[in-house]
Amino acid sequence: MLSNQKKPQFEALVRAYSAELYRYAYWLCRERFLAEDLVQETFTRAWQSWGGLRDDKAAKSWLYTILRNEHARLFERKRIEIDETQELDEVVDSGSVNAYESFEMREAIEALPKSYREPLLLQVLGGFSCSEIAGTMDISEGAVMTRLTRARLALRKLTGRAIERKEKVR
Amino acid sequence: MTRCAKCAALAREVEDFDARIHDAAMVPVPEALADRVLLRHKVREPARFGGFGFGVWALAASLIIALGAVIQLYRADIGDGERIATTAAVGEGHAAIAAISYVLDHEPQLLKDNVSGDPAVMKSALTRLGLNLPARGTTVRYLGKCPVPSGEGEHLVLQTPFGQVTLILVPEQSLGPRVVVAYRDQTAVVNPVRSGSYIVVTDSLKNVKQIEKMLM
Repeated sequence: MLSNQKKPQFEALVRAYSAELYRYAYWLCRERFLAEDLVQETFTRAWQSWGGLRDDKAAKSWLYTILRNEHARLFERKRIEIDETQELDEVVDSGSVNAYESFEMREAIEALPKSYREPLLLQVLGGFSCSEIAGTMDISEGAVMTRLTRARLALRKLTGRAIERKEKVR
Repeated sequence: MTRCAKCAALAREVEDFDARIHDAAMVPVPEALADRVLLRHKVREPARFGGFGFGVWALAASLIIALGAVIQLYRADIGDGERIATTAAVGEGHAAIAAISYVLDHEPQLLKDNVSGDPAVMKSALTRLGLNLPARGTTVRYLGKCPVPSGEGEHLVLQTPFGQVTLILVPEQSLGPRVVVAYRDQTAVVNPVRSGSYIVVTDSLKNVKQIEKMLM
């Protein structure tokens, strides 16, 4: 358990990262209450294994990793369909984006396969470098770079298509 | 980069696009989330002398009292003037019952087929009914038409922070007075608005009310 000295550190960590962890959780599960549960559980686990954190600077990526693992555990339990095997080209070609002004980018992000969406969100929300993302996702740095590039290209295509449809409607 | 106008424009465009991704990813965070996380850990913290200390018991008692108050408020909220009708009370042909049946029997296939309707028609229907879709936290998963007792409605499936919700817009047609119906584990509200009606179908009355707040 936490010593008195560590308590303020833990509290600071909760205040600093709960919002961005919630956003990351929301994009993983796309359910508000489930996302909050994931954040709660992440900090519970962080609290329980606080002693294992040797470097305070690594706390952020440690929390993201805990959340990611918690989400994976939950997915397994709830048998939620995971689109890990989905190919990016299928998504772009299927035209699954419904265009409606400000929804278009969010829908485009949602339409990305998980393996592309996740590194993108780790970069955009967490501000992680490619090597940090590679560590969290347990893939090579090169693979992270490729996925980030392809994810952005796919978003361009998807949002571009949404704009084209909107123009046609007008 | 600064000398080449095309390069500068490209850099700006890339930055703008990344900003759009960032803005889209920044979903709203529930209020006082950090406080709730910390509260949970304070409650779990062990006392100094073996068992739970007085502070922890006091906190637990406060939480129970607070929870009781919330439940009372919630009950009052759904109880006051908002009675949930049964199928027998409204009749099987009622718009709310028809909407729930349509959602359960046809919507999964519609979502699977992934055919999208016309956003302009939906926007026009929303405007005519004086409703708004929130720009953040809600995604339109499906747009289309669906049958309603008086003809046809604009059928929207929304992914919201509280789950999937069906919204049926029926401009220029009255579906009768406001009624909330529970049927086949779903809750639907039919509500008249300034020039027509809307129907919301979701899994609970609480969520129906949250959606209605978002729309107004």
